[in-house]
Amino acid sequence: MSNADQISEYIVREFLPDLTPSQLPPDLDLLADGAIDSLGVLKMIAWVEHHFRLAVGDTDLDPENFRSVNAIDAYVARSQSTAATGG
Amino acid sequence: MTRTGRHSETADSVLRWADKTPEAPALWWKGTTTSYRELADATADARARLDEHVPAGATVAVLDDKSPGTVATALACLATGRPALLPSPTLPPDQVTAVMAEAHCAYALAGTAITVTAPAHGGGAVPPGTALVLTTSGSTGIPKAVPLPHRAVDAFTDWAADAFGIAESTPVLNYAPLNFDLCLLDVWTTLAHGGQVVLVDPSTAASGRGLLRLLRTHRIEVVQAVPLCYALVGAQARVEGGGPLGSVRHAAFTGDVMPEQALADLAELMPGARLHNIYGCTETNDSLIHEVDRSLTQSAPMPLGRPLPGVRLRLRDPDGRVLNGPGSGELEVSTPFQSTGYADPSRAAEKFVLEAAADGGPGTWWFRTGDLVARDTDGALRLIGRLDHQVKIRGVAVNTGEVEQVLLEHPEVLEAGVTTVPDPVEGRRLIAVVRLEDCSTVTSLDLKRHCTARLARGWVPGLLMPVTEPLPRTGTGKVDRRMIAQTVAAPAATAS
Repeated sequence: MSNADQISEYIVREFLPDLTPSQLPPDLDLLADGAIDSLGVLKMIAWVEHHFRLAVGDTDLDPENFRSVNAIDAYVARSQSTAATGG
Repeated sequence: MTRTGRHSETADSVLRWADKTPEAPALWWKGTTTSYRELADATADARARLDEHVPAGATVAVLDDKSPGTVATALACLATGRPALLPSPTLPPDQVTAVMAEAHCAYALAGTAITVTAPAHGGGAVPPGTALVLTTSGSTGIPKAVPLPHRAVDAFTDWAADAFGIAESTPVLNYAPLNFDLCLLDVWTTLAHGGQVVLVDPSTAASGRGLLRLLRTHRIEVVQAVPLCYALVGAQARVEGGGPLGSVRHAAFTGDVMPEQALADLAELMPGARLHNIYGCTETNDSLIHEVDRSLTQSAPMPLGRPLPGVRLRLRDPDGRVLNGPGSGELEVSTPFQSTGYADPSRAAEKFVLEAAADGGPGTWWFRTGDLVARDTDGALRLIGRLDHQVKIRGVAVNTGEVEQVLLEHPEVLEAGVTTVPDPVEGRRLIAVVRLEDCSTVTSLDLKRHCTARLARGWVPGLLMPVTEPLPRTGTGKVDRRMIAQTVAAPAATAS
């Protein structure tokens, strides 16, 4: 399963349990549409850290990084490549 | 046939129709009719049983489900001056026992059997002159016994017949169970004036198709029901077609917020009907009425309208001061139709307040409704929600009733229940269970979007569960939030 699929699967399970992951548009603005509230974002960040074995630094806690499945996917990819190159 | 004529003007009026129009239909039930003569005969039989087993003036719990026979039993109680305690048929047995004890009721009638429980108390807890003992919903603990005096019942049936043009042979739909105060209009007013009561059996109450069929078959002229009934009928009519219901002259809704979609459907389905939003409580009966202006698009929430004749009202702010002019506070009402106070005086003391008269007269009993109401500069009143529906979610005060109202504004939502469940992270989490129309494909995401566009962020339920089965309801037909919290708590806890 791609990272994006795993993220969709998590969001649906945690916040929109009646949906299937395919019903969640990857560009949906999760905050603006009320799918996830601010506390939910913190929950989700904790999951991203744990699931993808990342440390989300304070400077990365920008809601823009977590606004949609695509945004989270991009953030994870960026963080993993930074980690891989030892940066 | 023997009649006393001493206790209930309403019961005596009903029984007089057995002489005036003996073969005219009094009740319709499951496709069969009961004439006024048959109703009087059944009442006489019930009365003979009561006279044999139950002392004069003793309260009798009528435990049967709604049927013509149950109406006759209640009528026999009214006519003989025995208060009829009507618990909700959905009440668990231990709660029925508790309500009977509270009303000092030692006699229970089911079918033709009368059972006697050892009287736990000497005196009667309901005052002389009590006609009916209704029960509150029980959404906040054990239901309370609400005695209604004969004078209240008689005053109400007089008002209602006049207000809704209920006369000889008028067909009126009775949706509510017999323990609801709504039956004062649908059943007792109609029978006292020689009309035809079309009883909705509980097996049909959740079926839009069955309800629509009854409305059409009987050419119903007057309908009073909770919004759910109209939502079901409206949704069914949209699917079925079949044209408007031209016979309906009055359609009244009460007991809950009327969803916009249901109101729009209703206006289309019943083009000749005057539409009324009625506000009342079991304890006071109908208190305020608002006639919907068909030429205007309604914006929720609907005004509460004007007080019925003889009804007084006032608002009390959180500091306990009576509000004059605009503002919001708890609604207090005093009506000619109200209860003498709960059978349990300690429970009555919190809700029924005596205001002494300036001239040393009898004073006014006010009922504290528990409803938060706002009055604007024009004096128009709007219901904000239940005071006991105020919850705090992460420090934000949320009124769950208002959230429900917003969910009900969604065109495919039939019922909504909002409450809180404990959450290890959030403390309490706001949750909603929403019943959608049968063929709806709306998801929790759609509903969250709907809420987000209309509510402050902290008011959007964290968990929204769409369902297609009916929501659990309390004995008086309110969405049962406690039950919803219990059923949601398990999955919500594991999801956290």
